[in-house]
Amino acid sequence: MKKLCFILLLLFTGFCFFPGSSMAAKSGGEFNFIAPYGGDLSSLDPHKTNRTQDYIVILNIHRSLYKWSADAGKPVLALADSVKVSQDRLTYTYALKQNVKFHNGRNMTADDIIWSYQRILTPATASPGVRSIRIIKGADDFESGKATAIQGLKKLDDYTLEITLKNPVEPGFSLYPPEIAILPKEEVEKRGDSFGVDPVGCGPFKFVNWVKGSEVVLEKFAGYYEAGKPYLDKVVYKIMPEAASRDIAFKVKELDATTVGSVNYPEYKGTPAIAKNMIEVAELWTRVVCFNVDYGPFKNKKVRQALNYAINTKLINKKLLKGKAVDPVGYLPPSSPAFGTDSKGYEYNPERAKQLLKEAGYPDGFTFECLGTDNGTWGVKAIEALIPMLKKVGVKVVPVRMEGAAMSARAKSGDFQALIWSLDSGPDPLSALSRWESVNERVSGNYSGYNSAAFDNYLALARVETDDSKKMDLLKKADQTFIEDAPVWFYNYNKAVLAYHPWVHGLQPVAVELMYQDLSSVWVDENSPRK
Amino acid sequence: MNKTILKIKNQPNLIIGGIITAVVIFMAIAAPLLAPYHPVDDADLMVSEEPPGSTYLMGTDEQGRDILSRVIYGSRISLSIGIVTQVMNTIIGIILGLSAGYFGKWWDDLVMGLTNIMLSIPSMIFALAIMALIGPGLINVFFALGITNWSYTCRITRSQVLFTRSLDYVKAAKALGYGDIRIMFTQILPNILGPILVIGTLGVASAILLEASLSFLGLGTQPPTPSWGGMLATARNQMFTAPWISIFPGLAIFITVLGLNLFGDGLRDILDPHSVGKIK
Amino acid sequence: MTLYVVKRLLQFIPTIFCISLMMFVILNVLPGDATTMSGGMKRQLDAKTAENMKKQLGLDKPLHIRYLHYIKGLVKGDLGKSYLRSESVNDLIAQRLKPTIQVSLAALLIAVGFGIPLGFVSALKQGTWMDTLSMVGAVSGVSIPQFWLGLILMYVFSLLLGWLPPQGYGGGSLVNLIMPAFTLGVGYMALIARTTRAAVIEVLSEDYIRTARSKGLSEWIVNRRHVFGNTMILILTTVGLQFGSLVGQTVIIEKLFSWPGIGSLLVDSIFQRDIPVTQGCVLVIIGVFLIVNLVIDLMYVIIDPRIQYK
Repeated sequence: MKKLCFILLLLFTGFCFFPGSSMAAKSGGEFNFIAPYGGDLSSLDPHKTNRTQDYIVILNIHRSLYKWSADAGKPVLALADSVKVSQDRLTYTYALKQNVKFHNGRNMTADDIIWSYQRILTPATASPGVRSIRIIKGADDFESGKATAIQGLKKLDDYTLEITLKNPVEPGFSLYPPEIAILPKEEVEKRGDSFGVDPVGCGPFKFVNWVKGSEVVLEKFAGYYEAGKPYLDKVVYKIMPEAASRDIAFKVKELDATTVGSVNYPEYKGTPAIAKNMIEVAELWTRVVCFNVDYGPFKNKKVRQALNYAINTKLINKKLLKGKAVDPVGYLPPSSPAFGTDSKGYEYNPERAKQLLKEAGYPDGFTFECLGTDNGTWGVKAIEALIPMLKKVGVKVVPVRMEGAAMSARAKSGDFQALIWSLDSGPDPLSALSRWESVNERVSGNYSGYNSAAFDNYLALARVETDDSKKMDLLKKADQTFIEDAPVWFYNYNKAVLAYHPWVHGLQPVAVELMYQDLSSVWVDENSPRK
Repeated sequence: MNKTILKIKNQPNLIIGGIITAVVIFMAIAAPLLAPYHPVDDADLMVSEEPPGSTYLMGTDEQGRDILSRVIYGSRISLSIGIVTQVMNTIIGIILGLSAGYFGKWWDDLVMGLTNIMLSIPSMIFALAIMALIGPGLINVFFALGITNWSYTCRITRSQVLFTRSLDYVKAAKALGYGDIRIMFTQILPNILGPILVIGTLGVASAILLEASLSFLGLGTQPPTPSWGGMLATARNQMFTAPWISIFPGLAIFITVLGLNLFGDGLRDILDPHSVGKIK
Repeated sequence: MTLYVVKRLLQFIPTIFCISLMMFVILNVLPGDATTMSGGMKRQLDAKTAENMKKQLGLDKPLHIRYLHYIKGLVKGDLGKSYLRSESVNDLIAQRLKPTIQVSLAALLIAVGFGIPLGFVSALKQGTWMDTLSMVGAVSGVSIPQFWLGLILMYVFSLLLGWLPPQGYGGGSLVNLIMPAFTLGVGYMALIARTTRAAVIEVLSEDYIRTARSKGLSEWIVNRRHVFGNTMILILTTVGLQFGSLVGQTVIIEKLFSWPGIGSLLVDSIFQRDIPVTQGCVLVIIGVFLIVNLVIDLMYVIIDPRIQYK
């Protein structure tokens, strides 16, 4: 009897516990979130903006063919139930979901996808998303006006779409970003330019109101295609560019969740009540100092390696960034599928650095200028931290603080010796690494001017490789070559941190950009002050 | 002569203000002797963000640099920017404002038009333009700040002149056949100096703070060179987590501006032509 | 008098023209353009896309053609279209003008409401502890960066006391307005207090005041009749200048408190090289400024009949 009681008790507690940890999602309530980057939003027309700040909101109003899955760590189908891939991996046949509705009540069909992709590709739209659509066959002809339709886009029936690609690449990586969203033609045409301030999409939330420079309000869209979702009745994005005021607003419970900067990271981490409600993810952004390989000393590989040895990178990440950064190995971060688990990066070794400098013919060091913006993590602050370290090996670094647009212009012209930047290193490792191919000019993002035949060769092989694991091996080798050649100082990978209140459930560790939270699966329990 | 000394003795403001100003100027000149550490080279990340204590009297910043030493060295940049630009602004403002108010007519229209333009174009745009045209550097900051902020003094001077030129003693001076320049500088200016000095001295604070915002655009002092405004600006997000990083440079600005204000006030009392001593 | 107003209004035209030309040249010679910073530092456009975007925005045309185009619109009251936002500059500014004016007026009210009495008291009690205290207060007012003050207010009144919302516009409600207005107003309050004090002291030492005193008029009547009236000129000038510049200097409080004003629009547009927006904001700010100062100039006449405009 006692035993039975015990078992019953165990079962009972287990029962209580289990639903406790994965409680049933409850509908209703409001969610106050943030748009933390820069200033006001620019536009909610996904095809016409290039800003992360806008995409944070856009991705909850609109939907693309694919969406990012934080669990899978890659794009998955969103507006289609299934896809059939041809033998040559060039033709993809999508069975579209039949219950996707736009906020005006109309069903989404294959025509909408074709029209949206055409709109992105039309030069007059000036869309930053063209890159993504260019993977489709015939895109170039349409873009240059030689064709009136994109050859590789074919509607088989209302809910079946066939996409033919130029090369056998994984289309999800190109077609998931928020800027490739599917829009309702009639609403876009009716509104003209003002679509950007009064958008209609097929996402989980409808646009309500945007107080410029202050907040954007969205409400639940009842006709959303995923049953039972979204849970929240209302979402408010507060436009808050200042970290210190976000901190206070979060503590006052005005915000349900907030992004955490390095300044507040130790404090949040040290407060048990907050620490257990934090999401940390190694974002697919790599922070580097690009050495201009055309500049005197940096022509020599040994000099570049020496600087990597001379800098105590871990100490900078630990003390200056207060641990809110992931120590680097190579260019690709740990969340990348092609991350080399056995790759070797640079350790702190000033003796080795001196030795290398001597071998390279700079026993007394040299002086170089390093450009940076006032960014708190990958700006002049980081360069300042290098001064005493490099001084020990005789190298003098002169930080030059610049305003963003001016620095971008100089970076692209090649008129610099070194500069600090945060560069995307995912989600697709192949396209991330292809930035450094020698065919790329500085204008296209190869700021160092890196030029390696071996590296180029690995990438060329990876591009035609159909076996996934072999492809990843090639990319790992490419990354190892990149480490060896050291055209950059490997600084860190961003550790993005989101803190939320205990009543919030369903936020995801999104490695592409932690602020890209799909709020359709987020819900708040009865402890929320806004329930 | 004796009278002047007597006047100075009766001016505690002048004495206190003068002492504060002298100390700050001395600090700037003798920085290498006074500072316990080097403001840049003695950085050590191992001791970053140490609170004030016996080793580091004012604590250390996020790079592990001694804040006291940076405040001492920072006085060089901040003080020279504050004072040089304000002197420039005040001189330009007085000359233009006096002449505009005194002569009136088309000259007044022209000066006021220019003043309005200067007042309404944000200083940030000026800074960016100067950066694009003549490049960054400390001298250019003097230039940028020195030629942008005179408009305030100019407007105030002009409005005071408008009022003063109809007063009896100006009319009397005219009747005596004094030249325009002489009337402006010996009759009108001393009578309107009070508000101008106030604006000039209080403006030192905004010039010091403004230097920091220029520095963020790439114009102005570049890191790691310390300046008070720059120290304040970089530490703004650490206000609650490491308040000492911003409090001490903030205090330095406060004390300097207070000293200059007291000094300016006292100076005005001495220069006051009515010279009746204090009104009790 | 009417003639004077008409003349002054006509003078606005060359001023505005000059500024628009100056701004246009300055903004266009800055390194980088709207395509460079369309996505901030992290999202750089590829060369081909950037080229196309430039073409669509008309940035490939020569400078003078672009300016002529701009001026043509300006004459009709059209400030053009933003490079990066989906709205016309007129609409963008119209939405933000009200919150800007609200917070500037409130700040001015605080500055004048506290600054003038403070200035009078310290001038009349010159040399006492009250005078010293107000001087220390004024100097702290100008030395404390808005950023600090805003955060401290937020910390005390939102986090500790829970009296005021930490951020947001709230349709312009009073509870949302208090902290931004106070943060913005304190520096100006200090300046007004100090200029008032200086002006009062000047006036007190003038002959006619001494005459009035010697006639045996009571202190109060002297102060009210003579001192107040004559210091008003200076105070008005200060206030006018400040209101004009306040409108353009709200950026820090806007960013701290998510206040939807024109300052952050201006500053963001500079960094994004959204030239029509920058131009538009500056022209609107100078418009407000010119009008306010015209009104002030007219008020001189009302206060002091000796001043005449021809």
